[in-house]
Amino acid sequence: MRPLLEIARLELRRLWRSRAVLALLGLSLAWMFATPHVLKSDGTPDGARELYVHFSLGGAFALTLIALASSAASSLSRERDEKRLQLTLVRPVRFFAVALARTIALVAVGAANLAVCAVVLAFSADTAIRCSRVVSPVMISPRAEAELMYDEFMKDPETPPEVKKTKKSVVLRLLTQKAVDNYQSIAPGETVSWDFGEVPGADSSRLAVRLRFTNDFDMREEVRGTFVYGGLSGVVSNITQAVVKVPLVRNGEEESPGAPAPRLSFTNAGETSLMLRPRRDINILVEEDSFAANLVRAYLELVSIMALVIAFAMLLGAGLGRSVAVFTCISFIFASVVSGDIIEQYPDQLETDRIDSIGLAITRAVQFVSRPVASLRPLAALSSDEMVEGGETAQVFALDFLLVPLVASLLCGAVMTRKKQ
Amino acid sequence: MSSILALKAVSKTFSDFWLRPTVKAVDALDLEVRKGEVFALLGPNGSGKSTTIKMILGLIEPTAGEISLFGMKPSCIEARRRLGYLPELSYLHPFLTARETLSYYAGLCSLDRKTASSRIDELLEMTDLAAAASRPVGTFSKGMARRVALASALIGKPEFLILDEPTSGLDPVSTDEVKTLVKTLAADGMTILMTSHLLADAGDVSNRVMILDHGRCAAEGDVAGIKGSLEEYFLSKISQRREFKVAPFLTGGAA
Repeated sequence: MRPLLEIARLELRRLWRSRAVLALLGLSLAWMFATPHVLKSDGTPDGARELYVHFSLGGAFALTLIALASSAASSLSRERDEKRLQLTLVRPVRFFAVALARTIALVAVGAANLAVCAVVLAFSADTAIRCSRVVSPVMISPRAEAELMYDEFMKDPETPPEVKKTKKSVVLRLLTQKAVDNYQSIAPGETVSWDFGEVPGADSSRLAVRLRFTNDFDMREEVRGTFVYGGLSGVVSNITQAVVKVPLVRNGEEESPGAPAPRLSFTNAGETSLMLRPRRDINILVEEDSFAANLVRAYLELVSIMALVIAFAMLLGAGLGRSVAVFTCISFIFASVVSGDIIEQYPDQLETDRIDSIGLAITRAVQFVSRPVASLRPLAALSSDEMVEGGETAQVFALDFLLVPLVASLLCGAVMTRKKQ
Repeated sequence: MSSILALKAVSKTFSDFWLRPTVKAVDALDLEVRKGEVFALLGPNGSGKSTTIKMILGLIEPTAGEISLFGMKPSCIEARRRLGYLPELSYLHPFLTARETLSYYAGLCSLDRKTASSRIDELLEMTDLAAAASRPVGTFSKGMARRVALASALIGKPEFLILDEPTSGLDPVSTDEVKTLVKTLAADGMTILMTSHLLADAGDVSNRVMILDHGRCAAEGDVAGIKGSLEEYFLSKISQRREFKVAPFLTGGAA
């Protein structure tokens, strides 16, 4: 344990005395304070908070992540190039502990930096709101729906012959994508309903319905009508906002105890048909927790993602030269961020040629392994006042903060044993 | 005397990226260092001294043969606990002070704070660095940095000390101080393996000497016993010395 602490302390001293910590903190704070003045929100407290979370905290996180990942990628490789590493490795120290201690030190710096930014956010934005758990309609999975559609789709004479020759797995993937985006049309005067199953906290918490019409084209819909959920109801009349929250209030009808979970129904009172994607566009929001508690959970997830990237960068530095390791690490972060957009640009693999198919397969693999970095789910949830679930935070923390850095450090140890010092 | 270190038919061949062998740095080397002796590895640049040392330290794996350090593999933690190492250059962290440097290596040896503190004071005193203990080692002269590195090698109170060219780059006074220190440590019973390309350095302090040439043992024995071989070897090396042909433009000739 003592050697581990000494190596971590050495790394912290290096970062502190080279003024890297202060430079990172200064840049992060400058970014946090500058973005609200440079970027303008829609003028509402919600919009300002979204801007703070998404751009200020998100930007500070990206800055911290890239700086510390570069530092991690060069940490072992620089010491090896300068021959200092051998003086540590000839001591009674396990090789993996050398990598683990450095990872711990860099994660500690990142966590402290992000904590300062989170405190700035908490004092700058309007945080007197409560965050909500998001409940989606209970539907069969898009994959299952795709499998149900498959036979019919292949028998359809309008399906192009080249599609019929394509592998089943590829067609299923495309149909799954289509199932996620399946639209439901609600005619004027029509009433439709969706099953949300048992909504946890439905009896005691305040509920709302959220309609979200945002898509790639930022399309907004005119929506007028009434939602009814058991003894609760809400009226919506909106033509301006892309995201509409409709509070549900008691409508005087009593619910019988022990009755099955109610369905959420909607009656379209508008003059045009309403198009929405049930899997994406409609949710019940259950008010749960304070913004501060949500921020703490989001913070823990962001620090865990940081630990994951730092551990990966450290592994690169253990096996590769300094410049190659840093370049590979930064490229991987960049690829993880853009891979989703690349796949969105080529949604239909059938239309692409062989080279494109290979590129897409590689991009999908990158996207798969870099999901935590690419999605940045905690920031997205925090900016839209959604609950960062405690269970999810615990899972991310256990995997990305504890397990992955430990395994990566063990691999670093194995690589250092093989690597010529 | 019991053996501290034993190398049996140890070879090391370096390979390129495609695993094609490029250089055979050490070739079927047998070596034994016994408890309490000062053993010197002598040889010119590129003779395989540093590669041999790195294999003994477990920093690189031999291609063939066996290395036994305290009866264990060099990569074994317990073997490394009983070892001290001074590299050819000091390789110190320039942002640490002398005291912090020693404290860092004491921590790596898992010494408790009290023992570490008293040992650091003793070593700073011994290496005449007490007055400069709070200065960053990046501001030290080469001789001072060398003394910090030596103190770092001794912080864990090793039974076996490996000194890779300990007098390299030092002035005559500092060289003499290092030699005196080596003699003192040897007199206290410490086993020492040192490398050098200077016969005078090795001859002054060591009990036994091995001459390495192209990774092979050219001669081995006690200093007095193989003095003839040593002189013959170095004379042969001098006779084979490279003649540098001076580029004409340096002497005013045609470019």
